[in-house]
Amino acid sequence: MMARRGRLHPERWAVYLLLALICLAAVFPLLWMISISLKPVGEGSAGWNVLLPRAPTLTNYVAVAGLLPLGRNMLNSFVVAASGTVATVFLCSLAGFAFAKYEFPGKNALFLLLLGTMMVPPEAGVVPVFAIIRAFGWVNNLLALIVPNAATAIGIFYMRQYIASFPREIMEQARLDGAGEFRIYWQMVIPVVAPALAAWGTLAFIARWNDFFWPLIFMRSKEMYTLMVAVSVLPVSEGLSTPWPVILAGATLSVLPLLAIYFVLQQFQKEGLALGAMKG
Amino acid sequence: MRAHSLLRRIWRARQLYLFISPFFILFAIFQFLPLLWSLYLSFHEWNGLGDPEPVGVANYRALLRDQMFHEALRNTTFYWIANLLLVIPLALLVASLLYNPWLKGRRAWRTVLFVPYVTASVAIGLIFKMLFDFNSGLINMALGGFGLDPVPWLTSVELSKLPVVVLNVWRVTPWFTLILFSGMLAINPELYEAATVDGANAFDRFFRITIPSLAPILFFCFVTLSIDSFRIFTEPYILTQGGPGSSSLSIVQYLYVNGFRLFKLGMASAIGYVLTAILLVVSAAQLYALRRQSGLSEVG
Repeated sequence: MMARRGRLHPERWAVYLLLALICLAAVFPLLWMISISLKPVGEGSAGWNVLLPRAPTLTNYVAVAGLLPLGRNMLNSFVVAASGTVATVFLCSLAGFAFAKYEFPGKNALFLLLLGTMMVPPEAGVVPVFAIIRAFGWVNNLLALIVPNAATAIGIFYMRQYIASFPREIMEQARLDGAGEFRIYWQMVIPVVAPALAAWGTLAFIARWNDFFWPLIFMRSKEMYTLMVAVSVLPVSEGLSTPWPVILAGATLSVLPLLAIYFVLQQFQKEGLALGAMKG
Repeated sequence: MRAHSLLRRIWRARQLYLFISPFFILFAIFQFLPLLWSLYLSFHEWNGLGDPEPVGVANYRALLRDQMFHEALRNTTFYWIANLLLVIPLALLVASLLYNPWLKGRRAWRTVLFVPYVTASVAIGLIFKMLFDFNSGLINMALGGFGLDPVPWLTSVELSKLPVVVLNVWRVTPWFTLILFSGMLAINPELYEAATVDGANAFDRFFRITIPSLAPILFFCFVTLSIDSFRIFTEPYILTQGGPGSSSLSIVQYLYVNGFRLFKLGMASAIGYVLTAILLVVSAAQLYALRRQSGLSEVG
């Protein structure tokens, strides 16, 4: 009776069906984009021919590589995302550790200030930020995209939540053995919170790779564009409008590396991407 | 005497201040200083060269009369409300589908469901442009299949905001699903078992246990989604360029146009200040509502 109930439950089939439909909606635009990027430019798109290319070809990828230095753009995106992620994972976990595990004068006020900064839109001060970046000589320099958000309020908030459950007794023991605070962080806390670092790192990498507003403002030459800026200028290049399959070949190239990294990183996380002890 | 011991406590914690300092230093240089500077600039006229020329409240007064800015405010408010009405319920639905204990392949479902958040708005905005295209868009073709007339999604003043909303909802819902699902995992399963024994159905369990248990996280979602909605830029920039006319223009887009296309830096700063003020009011209102409702005194 019990065993059969599991199989015949119409409710469960409804849940699976609904999930399947939502998944279809989640991946359809991406698959359709890839499909069009493989279509010869002249191929008709009447009727349901729009969905699949009849004679798949890679010529659009060759054409798009001739319009922009996409290899260089991809390298820029990778440098910005990777170095920004390493910096933010380190700095946010270090600060989160201090906020979670110690008492010091002004701690609560500083933490409230940190939460408050999340409500100030960074775009609001973009004009002075540009002037400051220019004063540093960082216009058209990747540092402009890496340094300003090397430590983020939300990252520190999340790390503090996660590190809060690290057992205090272990820290006491290490201190008796003569370990300094940084060594406790580096040798004991980091290995334990590695899953949280991986999850946060994945999200930070995605955000930096996909960032558009700041590179659009700071990167002024084709060679220094990140992939997102490069893709955004594809529709019109050299005053001519680019054919759709060529544009979408560029768009596909900007999305696939990140998707590949995402799927690889997923393999290292036992339960898949989760925000761990997210208690709000 | 007391001041002396406070200084000693601060000195003893110097390493901890060092640990938290990078964020505060970066915040001071790249957010706080710009915030003060743009307050100053908002009372000036400046094209980036030479000295800013003081103009009093002229920029703010101009914004009061600026029809385009009013439209940007209305559009952005529309994006905000549409996001709240669509993203949070949808994310709750998907998270609770995933939370079913008997669900098989949960990890695979989650991996696929998160894909939209991984794909960039810029790239996917281009394919959404084809999806909503008047002549060859898939949506109009599907409508044609039912014998309906094609709809000018991207090129009509009345409808141009809808594709922007669809793209935005499509892309950010997985993020909120992840947060809400992570929150559900922290709910004590015994609560559900007890409720089931008492004869509560799935509907009751959702509204009596899931929602109240998630209250702090839902609040977090509301606030961050509100802030992100008011900062919307990429989606209208790629899909409609804010048009036709300014029917889908967002506040940040208008700020960008003033600052980096027209070089009206004083005006752009004033727009930035209006945006900051709106966000502070919205955040404060939500915080106030939360305190009244649940008596929660702690956000952290």
